[in-house]
Amino acid sequence: MSVDFATLEIDQELSDKSYVLDAQTVERYIGAVGDGSGIYQPADDRPIVPAMAVAALGLRGIVADLGIPEGAVHAGQELEFSAVVRVGDALRCRAVLSQYAVRGETRLVSLRLSVEDGVGRQVMTGKTTLLMPGGTAHAGAGGGGSAMTTAERGDVGSEY
Amino acid sequence: MKEGEALRSVTKQITQEAISEYAAASGDMNPIHVDPELAALSQFGGTIAHGMMVAASLSEMMSAEFGMDWIESGRLKLRFRAPVYPGSGITAYGKIKRVREADGGSEVVCSVGVRSESGEDAVTGEATVKTEAPS
Repeated sequence: MSVDFATLEIDQELSDKSYVLDAQTVERYIGAVGDGSGIYQPADDRPIVPAMAVAALGLRGIVADLGIPEGAVHAGQELEFSAVVRVGDALRCRAVLSQYAVRGETRLVSLRLSVEDGVGRQVMTGKTTLLMPGGTAHAGAGGGGSAMTTAERGDVGSEY
Repeated sequence: MKEGEALRSVTKQITQEAISEYAAASGDMNPIHVDPELAALSQFGGTIAHGMMVAASLSEMMSAEFGMDWIESGRLKLRFRAPVYPGSGITAYGKIKRVREADGGSEVVCSVGVRSESGEDAVTGEATVKTEAPS
C-alpha cells in the first residue's frame, strides 16, 4: 500500500524498523555491488559492514513501509556515517518526512533518515529525495499548477 | 593528500543478474529494476540499476582511499543524473577539492562521480571525510 504523502505533516515519522544485519544479507549485498575492498574482515573481530550497505539495508524497511509507487525516481541522496557497524549488529532505522512538494505532474518527497545501533549510538544519518509521478492528482494541499505550488512544504531547495 | 589530486578510480560492469541480486538484498523490487517487460514501457525503455547500487562504487572508492576513516566519518551528497542500464560499464572517479585542518587532523572534501562508458555522468556529488593525518 502506498503512502499518500499529501496528507502527511513535515517531521511525521513514516517508518521505524529494527533488524539484525546477518552475514547472509551482507554477503549478498557485497556480491551484488562487487565491492572488493579489503577492510571488511578484521582478524580479531566480527566483519565490518560496508558503509553503503548500512544505508541500503537501512532503507530496505523504509521502502517496504512506504510502498513507493512504480515510476518513482531516486533523485538525490545524502549520507553521513558516524560509527562502524559489524555483521550481527542490531540496527534501528527511522524515516521522517522532511519535504513534500508538487511540481506539475511530479511529486517531490524528501525523507530524513537515521540509523542507530543496538545501544542507541547513531551510526548513520541521511536524506533521500524521490520524484514520484502523479503530482496534480495529489495536490490537495493547495497545489496543482506548474513550477512551485502551494503544496510545497518542508526544507525546500536543498536538492533542486 | 593534495588539492587537485585524483582518487584511484573503481570500474565495474553492471549486469541484470547483479541488479536483480541487489534488488533481493535491498528489498527494492521495483519493476523498473527487475522486470524487463514492464520496464520496457517506462520512460527508460528497459531496466536500470538502482541509484544506490551505482553509488556503492563511490563508497568503495572512498573506502579504498581512506579506509576506516571513511567508514567512521564519511559524508556523501549525491545527485542521480542519468540511468545506468544492464550491460554498461561504470567508473567511479574523484578528485580532492579541499583539505583543511579539523579536530587535530584533516577534513578532505572530494568532488566525486560515476560515469557510464558512454561518457555520461550517472551520479555526481561531493564526498567528505575526516582523517587523523594533518593537512
